[in-house]
Amino acid sequence: MGHSKPSLPTVGRRTVLKAAAAAGVAQFAAPFVRSARAADAIKIGMVDPFTGVYAAVAQNELIGAKLAVEQINAKGGVLGRPIELLVEDSANDVGTGVQKTRKLIDRDGIQFLVGDVNSAIAQAIAQVANEKRVLHIVSGGHTDPITGKDCHWNVYRVCNTTKMEANAVAELLFKKYGKRWHFITPDYAFGHTLQEAAAADLKKFGGTITGNELTPLGTTDFSAYLIKARAANPDVILVLPQGSDMINCMKQIVQFGIDKQVHVAGLQQELESLGSHAPEARVGIWMFEWYWRQPGVPHVEQFVAEIRKRSGGKVPTARTWFGYTSVMSYALVANRAKTLDGLKLARALSDFELPAEVKLQPNKCYYRKGDHQLMTSSFVGRAVAKGKSGDAEDLFEVDAVVPGDKTAPPDTETGCKLTWPT
Amino acid sequence: MTQLLLFNVTNGLIIGAFYVLMAIGLSLILNLSNVINFAHGGFLVVGGYLAFALQPYLGFWGALIAAPFLTAIIGWAIERVLIRRLYGRDPLYSLLLTFGLAFIFEDGTRYIWGAQGKPVGIPEALARPLSNSLFFITGYRLFMVGVVAVTVTLLFLLLRYTRSGVRIRAGTLDLETVAALGINVRALRSLNFAVGIFLAGLSGVLAGGQLGLEPTMGASVLMPSFIAIIVGGVGSLAGTLVGGLLIGVASGITAVFLPAASEAIMYVLMALVLMLRPRGLFGEEGLLT
Repeated sequence: MGHSKPSLPTVGRRTVLKAAAAAGVAQFAAPFVRSARAADAIKIGMVDPFTGVYAAVAQNELIGAKLAVEQINAKGGVLGRPIELLVEDSANDVGTGVQKTRKLIDRDGIQFLVGDVNSAIAQAIAQVANEKRVLHIVSGGHTDPITGKDCHWNVYRVCNTTKMEANAVAELLFKKYGKRWHFITPDYAFGHTLQEAAAADLKKFGGTITGNELTPLGTTDFSAYLIKARAANPDVILVLPQGSDMINCMKQIVQFGIDKQVHVAGLQQELESLGSHAPEARVGIWMFEWYWRQPGVPHVEQFVAEIRKRSGGKVPTARTWFGYTSVMSYALVANRAKTLDGLKLARALSDFELPAEVKLQPNKCYYRKGDHQLMTSSFVGRAVAKGKSGDAEDLFEVDAVVPGDKTAPPDTETGCKLTWPT
Repeated sequence: MTQLLLFNVTNGLIIGAFYVLMAIGLSLILNLSNVINFAHGGFLVVGGYLAFALQPYLGFWGALIAAPFLTAIIGWAIERVLIRRLYGRDPLYSLLLTFGLAFIFEDGTRYIWGAQGKPVGIPEALARPLSNSLFFITGYRLFMVGVVAVTVTLLFLLLRYTRSGVRIRAGTLDLETVAALGINVRALRSLNFAVGIFLAGLSGVLAGGQLGLEPTMGASVLMPSFIAIIVGGVGSLAGTLVGGLLIGVASGITAVFLPAASEAIMYVLMALVLMLRPRGLFGEEGLLT
């Protein structure tokens, strides 16, 4: 008996292997999100990664977009028709994002597209929107080529380019904190352009790069990279990963005590991430793309109050503002140009300046004609361990609000050559 | 350079210890129940979030003990209600079931606690590096390795010296004979499943202290655990132990020379083992099906 094979099915090595292969695939499968529709409404589509590592920021973009839809419809909609937001989950996967975008355009007949947080997906769906001649505002993908060498006549962008982010912080870092920099860079499009932009600035100022650690997206343990970074003895460690990667990295930096020996900084920081940090890990010099506490700037307080009502009391983040501004821009320009035609709308959005109740920042804020990039401000400052003045979500001390015109390179240097259809 | 290498080998061992804890639970369940538990990462997430929820009431130490037990109870219930029905069928059925459970856990935690990550505080005394030069050996990481060592030792002792433990080992080798001897195999499998899930829950609490809690964190540690089992050999707990440490060290060393490949090296190692010794380092010949 002992030597005979048991008759119950056993799991063999091959089954385990197949299972392991499937585990890889599993990360791409995902459910989808959907909203109700009205008959004569103008349909606009949003593609964002509502599952996966960017779920939290994508969710905030959606909250902002929904508020915009509500406000637009309350004021009579677009050209007298209500607008309706159709939402699809790109699941943080390029193929899925493209497929959902095609579905939104071909089957649902959307007139306007917003998305995606992930740069690679944003680039891919911009290509689709261009093919179909649909106006597209990239709400949250930062990689430069979107409004640079891969720019399209129908594609605009609300969030900063990585170059703008780097320029906003680099000079201050160099002057105040030191000239030897070590980078921790997420290994994909966004990370690479962000790192290159900062490295170019550093070179211009005459500083040294002591190293650049490329970390795969989804890295949980940064210790090996931090050991290398620390051994290189830099003045500043620049933490470029985003979302949960950044949280893990910062937590380990603080537990290793590295922040006590080296300046820790980054280019892009978000309230979603900072809120998820343990209080002791909220350190460093960063830039926010939008911040909710702006004393004296008109309409900001109302916006914060409206969002709080819809988010379970949470304040808006830069992402909320991206979603809001993207949808608002569409309604404003369509009502002004009195058309739904993609080409005419795209032309009308060139050099379009956002009104005070939408821009929600002190500086002038407009879509630049040459590359379709929104000239929006950078909020540069320092992370705060515990919320200021009794507000647990006031986690950032803004030192300067730098206008987009100052951080963006001239549009002749972005590599963007717009070709308009005839 | 030597110092950097030594640092990374030590660091790799620390990370490997964590993989071991995950992989041994996975391996226990696989060996006795023939279930490839895809939801193991999901149970880790549940353990971590339970600790987060309990921390305000029980403190870190209370949560460290309570959360794994609660996770084990959830695991036990799921085994009784769902997984048990699929024993005796093709393993792919239970694989699909646990695959679905993994999604339910991920979206469930996202639904309850939100997509935004949650910080888990750890005791002040552990949150510091032990020395200035060996900064990467923090009190917490050392504590983690200690917990893994104690847990794994305890588990091996249980399997060797207790009646249930001996039965589990016997069942791994020949379940039919064990059943024929009048042992309640159903209860044995329930117990074994709960122990495996306990280890997943414990991994979750430990991971929560070092990483941020996030609904998707289970998926990222599930793969290394699978690889640890395959490298160590299906059917051997000792093999899983060695496999986990091995891939931890391998990725640590690779990080010195080619950081971008530090994750890929695990797969390379797996491919090598499969080519040269298909049953894994300590795997049993009989399971080559």
